[in-house]
Amino acid sequence: MSNGEPVIRLENICQHFRVIHERPDTLRELFARVFRNRTSFHDFEAVRNVSFEIGRGQAVGIIGRNGSGKSTLLKIIAGVYRPTRGKVEVRGSLAPLIELGAGFHHELTGRENILLSGLLMGYSKKEMLARQERIIEFADIGEFIDAPIKQYSSGMYMRLAFAVATEVDPQILVVDEILAVGDAGFREKCFQRIHSFREAGKTILLVTHDMEDVRQHCERVMVMEQGSVIADSGPEEAIAVYKSLLLPEVVGAH
Amino acid sequence: MRELIGDSYRYRELIWALALKELKIRYKRSVLGFTWALLNPALLMLVLTLVFSTILRFNIPHYAIFLLSVLLPWTFFSQSLAYAVEAIVTNGDLIKKVAVPKLVFPMAALVSNIINLLLSLIPLAILVPLLRHPFYWTWIYLPVPLLALAIFTLGMTFFFAVANVFYRDVAHILQIVLSAWFYLTPIIYPIDAIPARYQWLLKLNPIIYVINGFRLSVYYGLLPKAPSIIASFVCAFISLIIGFYLFRRYQDNFVFYV
Repeated sequence: MSNGEPVIRLENICQHFRVIHERPDTLRELFARVFRNRTSFHDFEAVRNVSFEIGRGQAVGIIGRNGSGKSTLLKIIAGVYRPTRGKVEVRGSLAPLIELGAGFHHELTGRENILLSGLLMGYSKKEMLARQERIIEFADIGEFIDAPIKQYSSGMYMRLAFAVATEVDPQILVVDEILAVGDAGFREKCFQRIHSFREAGKTILLVTHDMEDVRQHCERVMVMEQGSVIADSGPEEAIAVYKSLLLPEVVGAH
Repeated sequence: MRELIGDSYRYRELIWALALKELKIRYKRSVLGFTWALLNPALLMLVLTLVFSTILRFNIPHYAIFLLSVLLPWTFFSQSLAYAVEAIVTNGDLIKKVAVPKLVFPMAALVSNIINLLLSLIPLAILVPLLRHPFYWTWIYLPVPLLALAIFTLGMTFFFAVANVFYRDVAHILQIVLSAWFYLTPIIYPIDAIPARYQWLLKLNPIIYVINGFRLSVYYGLLPKAPSIIASFVCAFISLIIGFYLFRRYQDNFVFYV
């Protein structure tokens, strides 16, 4: 299925989180805890032993129920988390669209934010200035580009963020169910861009709850459940697996 | 150490942009804007000069300059720490979403405060001739204590930034530590105000050597002696090595605690 050497390679990835139940609020409580040697946390395994490879130019979807570990996995790939165990290899520049506008500061203008978030993603000032005009054009927010972004509507904010993230020309695009928001026109524009990314032979990793998106954009789909990848196949089979997971839940609710 | 220099260089544009953002936000929506960076220390100096030349009179000539020559670097030190202690926590949202090198946050806090310090030296340079205090050639020595102070402060900012991620009490403790430290350091009083038999205690204060460098060159027109200069850099590098070691060791865990 892979048409090229792997650009993302995960090997036995595990991610534990320490869930702290209750913090000692007072010193007295703290001492009581220390002396009784009572620990008030448990380790939660968000991702369990996940291994896979994604080849250059593949468009891969990840689906699964809430809390199944999809976003954690994306964050590991994006380098936000260092996994508890296992190895991650990513070849080429990666643009994470985990949350749009993560590097934005609401007091700065759109133009200032383009530069700052570009620098945060690891691009140079020169690269960002060279792309600035195209980003502004894609975002299409007119005069607002020189206003502080706290005055933006949420739609304008997203358009700008999406423009920044995709106009930097990454080799790998990682998208975490952000496209669910925004009006139809913007969604259309985003998907056109994702489409052109695919045509340009770039790798795309898409986390979503929208099965239509998966069918339309992904050639390979993984299903996650309780931190593990339980299916890795073409979209139709994977969607069937996912639906079978949801079924007992739906039945139980009625 | 090489990693610290390499990363700082690699991310210099980001550090600079974050530092400027810090300053921009600090002065945003004020009519005078960036002028406040100059006006603020100037007004403080005015107040101090008035107070110490009319109300409280010490038998130290030009007390305002005596005080300001070390108060300005001290303010830089304490403000950098006050910013840096929150640097990781306030950028928690960002750290959770973008793979960004963590050291840029304490670095940016340091850089923005260095800019403030340098700007505050301008009104001091104006005040010196105004008060008819001699303008000594030893001002040209200032880059040396500035460098030592910046290194010392950077180490401390790393240390407090890490500690506060895991124990939020640190931000509160820091305020008390800083105010105790302020009075234990000869800032508002001269070194010889401490009785001779307690002088050795002063030598344990790691910031005193660099602070002394500022006062000697601005107020007394003297240069510190070689051992004092060496001591200031030894303290600075010890602070940096410990601070950066801890920061490096725990930075991958920040994302789980912010």
